[in-house]
Amino acid sequence: MRLWIALLAIPALAQKLAVLPPTVELTGPEARQQLIAEASLAEHSEDWTPKTQWSSSDPKIAAVDAHGIVSPVGDGEAIITANAQGTSGSVTVHVKNARAPFTWSFRNHVIPVLTKMGCNQGACHGALAGKNGFKLTLRGYDPDVDYDTLTRSSVGRRISLADPDESLILAKPSFAIPHGGGKRFAKDSLEYRVIREWIAADTPPPAASDVQIQGLEVFPAAAVLAPGADQQLAVRARYSDGHTEDVTRWVKFSSSNEGVATVDDWGHVKMNGSGEVAITLWYASRVLYSRLSVPFPNTVSATAYEQFPGRNFVDDLVIAKLRNLHLAPSKLADDATFLRRAYLDAAGVLPTAAEVESFLADTAADKRAKLVEQLMQRDEFVDYWTYKWSDLLLVSSKKLNPTTMWAFYNWIRDSVKQNKPWDRFARDIFLSSGSTRQNGALNYFVLHKDPIELSENATQAFLGQRITCARCHNHPLEKWTQTQYYQMANLFARVGVKSGTSAGENIVFAKPSGDVLHPRLARPLAPTPLDGKSIAIDSPEDRRIAFAGWLTSPENAMFSRTVINRVWANFMGRGLVDPVDDLRATNPASNEELLAALSKDFVANGYDVRRLVRTIMNSAVYQLSSEANATNQSDNVYYSKHIIRRLGAEVILDAMSQVTGAPSAFGGYPAGTRAMQLPDTQVKSDFLTSFGRPARNICDAAERSSDPTIAQALAVINGDTLNKKLSAPDGTLALLIKLGMSDRRVLEFVTLSAFSRYPNDSEHGMLAALEKTSGAGHRQAVEDMVWAMLTSKEFLFNH
Amino acid sequence: MFRLDADRAVRFCDGLRRRDFLHAGSLAAMGLSLTDWFGLRALGATDNSKDVNCILLMLIGGPSQLDTFDMKPNAPVEIRGPYKPIKTNVPGIEISENFPRTAKHADKFSLIRSMYHTAAAVHDTGHQMMQTGRLFQGGIEHPHMGCVLSKLKGPKGDVPAHVLLPRPIGNTGGNMPHGQTAGFLGKGFDPFVLNADPSDPNFKVPDMLPPDYLTALRVDRRRNWREMVDRSVSEFETSSDARLLDSTFQQAYTLMSSQKAREAFELHREPEAVRERYGLNRFGQSCLLARRLIEAGVRFVTVNMFETVFDEITWDIHGSKPFSPISCYRDLVGPMFDMAYSSLLSDLSERGLLSNTMVVGTGEFGRTPKINPAGGRDHWPQCWTMLMGGGPIKGGTIVGSSDEIGGAPRDRPVTPAQIAATVYRGLGIDIQQELPGVQGRPIPLVDRGTEPISELFA
Repeated sequence: MRLWIALLAIPALAQKLAVLPPTVELTGPEARQQLIAEASLAEHSEDWTPKTQWSSSDPKIAAVDAHGIVSPVGDGEAIITANAQGTSGSVTVHVKNARAPFTWSFRNHVIPVLTKMGCNQGACHGALAGKNGFKLTLRGYDPDVDYDTLTRSSVGRRISLADPDESLILAKPSFAIPHGGGKRFAKDSLEYRVIREWIAADTPPPAASDVQIQGLEVFPAAAVLAPGADQQLAVRARYSDGHTEDVTRWVKFSSSNEGVATVDDWGHVKMNGSGEVAITLWYASRVLYSRLSVPFPNTVSATAYEQFPGRNFVDDLVIAKLRNLHLAPSKLADDATFLRRAYLDAAGVLPTAAEVESFLADTAADKRAKLVEQLMQRDEFVDYWTYKWSDLLLVSSKKLNPTTMWAFYNWIRDSVKQNKPWDRFARDIFLSSGSTRQNGALNYFVLHKDPIELSENATQAFLGQRITCARCHNHPLEKWTQTQYYQMANLFARVGVKSGTSAGENIVFAKPSGDVLHPRLARPLAPTPLDGKSIAIDSPEDRRIAFAGWLTSPENAMFSRTVINRVWANFMGRGLVDPVDDLRATNPASNEELLAALSKDFVANGYDVRRLVRTIMNSAVYQLSSEANATNQSDNVYYSKHIIRRLGAEVILDAMSQVTGAPSAFGGYPAGTRAMQLPDTQVKSDFLTSFGRPARNICDAAERSSDPTIAQALAVINGDTLNKKLSAPDGTLALLIKLGMSDRRVLEFVTLSAFSRYPNDSEHGMLAALEKTSGAGHRQAVEDMVWAMLTSKEFLFNH
Repeated sequence: MFRLDADRAVRFCDGLRRRDFLHAGSLAAMGLSLTDWFGLRALGATDNSKDVNCILLMLIGGPSQLDTFDMKPNAPVEIRGPYKPIKTNVPGIEISENFPRTAKHADKFSLIRSMYHTAAAVHDTGHQMMQTGRLFQGGIEHPHMGCVLSKLKGPKGDVPAHVLLPRPIGNTGGNMPHGQTAGFLGKGFDPFVLNADPSDPNFKVPDMLPPDYLTALRVDRRRNWREMVDRSVSEFETSSDARLLDSTFQQAYTLMSSQKAREAFELHREPEAVRERYGLNRFGQSCLLARRLIEAGVRFVTVNMFETVFDEITWDIHGSKPFSPISCYRDLVGPMFDMAYSSLLSDLSERGLLSNTMVVGTGEFGRTPKINPAGGRDHWPQCWTMLMGGGPIKGGTIVGSSDEIGGAPRDRPVTPAQIAATVYRGLGIDIQQELPGVQGRPIPLVDRGTEPISELFA
């Protein structure tokens, strides 16, 4: 805290005053650019725009006002200089076509004005039914339709060429005449002028030859700011003819975390808390974000980072982030904690008492790395990851018959067992044809039957993208357009599924014809993956080939990032991107550099999931203690300490079975089958349901719940599941007692089995009471002691 | 839900501290059995506080305003639909012929015929807004009204403050739904979720009491030892999930030790005639259970009439599979609602509970004024009707009206946010206050300028 007080008290001396954007081109008489004077101080930057004196080297070329808005005067170059608090910076401005004739474009100006003013939002005229007889396309996704609506419908009252000010499109929103939506802009606003001048120019229509938007730039794209700081953003659009325009005032802004920062309609950001935030921008179905952060109010010595035992690039990149945010990493976890964590995360089982003792006794320096290798060779590792991918692919007997469900499950299991590269795993699904009994992967096409379901599920499961909104209109908050949606869906238009010869069998085949129609255009669009290359609509090739090729291409970062994020979250307790399956463009990772590096490594090494597991588990970051230090109590995002989380339903049940030596019985499955070995979530188990097992109905990681509930507490206190395991006549407890093992040894054995460590004083405290019992009373006391351990936080949580 | 971080001492009318169950072992020493103990607890005086409660009936699927509570008999047939209006016991108020029982209790509720929302026309948005007053955006998960009540007033006696019956809303298209939890208030204020079907012949809340083979002494010993084991690890203190686990155990023990709390969930204690009056189906029995829970001290009960809109007959009458046909309002869904709702109102009234229990019934949107080619009606958030009564809410009045086709509010348009404000005011909560949000940033209970519907208050 002292650091910040010092920063605020002394007049800041900037090391550098940068003017953003770093280059400015003004094209046409109406071009404008908001400049931002960003001062670099010792550890952060500040927006000095409001206290800057601006000047132009040549006012006959470019003029700049007190707010830092530069405008064209004549063609040529001028230098704009910013002076503030004794520091200065400058930018060169190139002016072109300053005196050329100019008309506002319907597509590139009128529609953005209507969009920013909210005219075409879902609440107003963008509603499916319009509003009071006037309907625009939602957020302007179809300029041609909107042009027709404005100029041709309603007997031309919306536009008055004879007297533009009389046009309803101006008179209503400026409230010259009553308007249900209130006053949207003033008569002297730029917005009014754009529409008025466009009408006065005879309402030029949108044309195929219009310059098209290519992308957005935001300034600053990233900044570290002080607590409570203000920051103005500037947003520029790039067009197909190479020119750029400042579109800041027409961008829709939002904050990814309003606890950290809020942003107003004009791109003015206010930092309210500590941590990082993405200020997301939407303009003309293009999205981008600016990454702003405020370090936590801690003083951390440099040695905390320098002495961190970096083992691989994961550590380097996490430490870099922690350094920026003034968070010190916790200490490394001890061997017992690491061992238990590694078993649970990699294989969903606890180490046995013998495995714990031998690991703790091992003095080899590389014993943790060796353990990681051993775990990946175990059958339980295969069971665990098969279960995980079965959750992802919704394997269940709800829609599949037992034979085909097993075929799907076994195909996944085989793939995990042979460590099939993730790109091949996906290709094997999308490139196969034939019997769903013989090739289990094909059941994917039975679970998702039509092109709409297939394209939505494929993008969700493998790319972390939710495109459903674009089914009816351009995604209002994201980049996906309705055109892209139906281009994508058409890739699956020729997947045929017909009944096979045996029960439950289906045959998946490529049909020679068939198309998905765009609902409004009523015609098929060229099959095209999202942001990918189209294929000819009359190409005889199985369209899935193009899809699979694009899906698994090294250039498709969404593909690798999605699976990496899921694997990372499995070990670290939270995805780099959160929620774990929501990788939309405006939801950046908490450590983008790390996700990019992991992705690069993953692609360069053949989409090798086990290699990824190894990289994560061997990092020092994975091996951090979950105990907080003075700086990171509140951090659950940047991996400064290990995140404590409740075990999954299946893991808890299996762990209880393992410690008590009394497995649960599942109807129709062989005795001894673990919950993690079930292929099907339809198998009845009140315990698993209560603890949050997913139904595998929809592809959404939120379907699985790990929240503790009262029902779970009641289930372990009073329910039969755990109680019967404890009292099992042939279970581990019965055996230990029968063997005449001392209470102290029983306690030690159970503590090793349940917590992967030796007992401590608290646990020894139970022994005194135990010693006073005998016979059946003694047996019950032992059960009660073990119950206390198997319902404790240390048991139910991975820590 | 129960308070988790009870930062003030909780007093109980019987004078026993909650931790006393911990020491039930000592009761055995005094010669008292667990049954005696439960009996003792039951002797405690009932809570006489005059707090207002709320039962929120979520009519999942979105009832058609034109076929339920906003009939347009003079509109063309493709608008007015197949059903006729009938008179109610309040002159001037007519509702659909599908609700003959409800018509006899129109003095007990009011109709708001000018509901609308402006978010996307999918189920989830309406569910969010009708339960929280807000839409899920900006990374902020707003709390359900019942969870807010739970946070602000805490539980009354041994029962949870907020109970959700029978199950959470599931997938209605798109993602898993938002708006059913305590959101940014923290999971400690999530509702107690029944997760069972009260119309099931074998219905009971599982595991409310120890099995026969566990004596009170052992339950007590286990609880002591568990606390002893838990004390040995410190790193869990910073984990909110770990703290939540502790509180769920405390609450479980509270439920176990309170006969009154346990009996509130025991529907079989109701006379058969009462059970039948509510309707022997999931919704009917959930409404009956809601009444029992309110009687026992639960402050807020949310009843989801359906869990999803797929492959189930619901209010979602698109007219084609896997959705429902319009005829189900006459054959199934309408009677189901009519029996349960009318019984709930009359039962609460007969027991003197209606005066301090609001009953709110709403869908997530209305339905298209014009019947679609499949003979059904599609989503229409631009206009619908909802029901409010009980507590301080006047009965027998109509708020707002729709246009001649029920397509848009004609006057007094009302948003979900205004309903939240109205419910909060009805519950006696100061709507000007702020809640602690993410990173402690205060979030207003309702947005500034959002006013309750004042004419509903006597």
